Amino acid sequence: MRHSELKYVRVRDYLRSLVTHELAVGEAIPSERLLCERFGVSRMTVRQAVDALVVEGLLQREQGRGTFVAPAKMDLEVRLASFGEDMRRRGMEPSSTVLAAEEVAATPDIADALDLLPGEQVFYLHRVRFADGEPIAIEQSWLPSRLTPGLFDDGPPASVYGELRRRGLEPEWGEDTVAATEVDARDGELLGLRVGKAVLRLSRRTFAGQVACVYSRSSYRADRYVLWVPLRAPKRALTPHATGDGQPAGGEQTDIGPSTTRAEQ
Amino acid sequence: MTDQAATILAALGGVANIIDIEPCTTRLRSEVRDATLVDVAALRAAGAHGVMIAGRVVQVVMGPSVDTLASEIDDLM
Repeated sequence: MRHSELKYVRVRDYLRSLVTHELAVGEAIPSERLLCERFGVSRMTVRQAVDALVVEGLLQREQGRGTFVAPAKMDLEVRLASFGEDMRRRGMEPSSTVLAAEEVAATPDIADALDLLPGEQVFYLHRVRFADGEPIAIEQSWLPSRLTPGLFDDGPPASVYGELRRRGLEPEWGEDTVAATEVDARDGELLGLRVGKAVLRLSRRTFAGQVACVYSRSSYRADRYVLWVPLRAPKRALTPHATGDGQPAGGEQTDIGPSTTRAEQ
Repeated sequence: MTDQAATILAALGGVANIIDIEPCTTRLRSEVRDATLVDVAALRAAGAHGVMIAGRVVQVVMGPSVDTLASEIDDLM
């Protein structure tokens, strides 16, 4: 079995390099027959190689037509911009369908994310977000009613961040958590994805100064997005300067102790 | 806001309980000797938007002010 596994890897890597360096989006890859001849392998081995790249999202099959180079995935940058702002920056036209816009009582998880007590009133906005007419994400947002009275009086705002700024609440910082999940039937239908396809689920808390002003949960199509995260080395950890008798224990230059195991969040 | 720094340091169990403290963009991340000495309610009262404890690592959600806060805590250690 090992031998054929290696053959499949060779075909796959060849195709990957072809897709990355030579073919344009929408172009067809060489036929199965051609690949069989070129690598001296069976059709099954070629299919295995193509399947792998279809799963990765580099290729897409169109029934009866062939296999083509898939559009490149967009970088989903974890930054504090709204969906609309982000799409315009990419030169795409954002639009939305509103599924729900109502005032509801905060459930405990929503209350916790917004520094509220369970049962306090929040505005709830549920939207499908489109880029150039294509469904990209489903987004649910909650805002404390106290903070944004009358939010839906003139219909739901086109931009939540825009509306916050208009009210003097500048979104300044936040935290995202990202999880991979399978899309459920309802969201799948809205996004044009088969049930069981992957989505990236982002949960975001947005703050203006020290005020939690939006909590949102979004599901982004995993076939169109990759997560892009800028990294920096952590700042030097600070350690206590002195022991009980006032003697310096290690000073400010102390590195992170070699024996400490850091649990990631 | 040195008061806040002192309150947070106390809520983490005081200097004696601190192994190290590190500002991480929006969170103050600290490794402590004894996590049971951490007073979550006091951290929330001091302005934390969340406290996550995993083993001996305590993460306190404070926002971008965390850099300043960490250096003020450093002055108290």
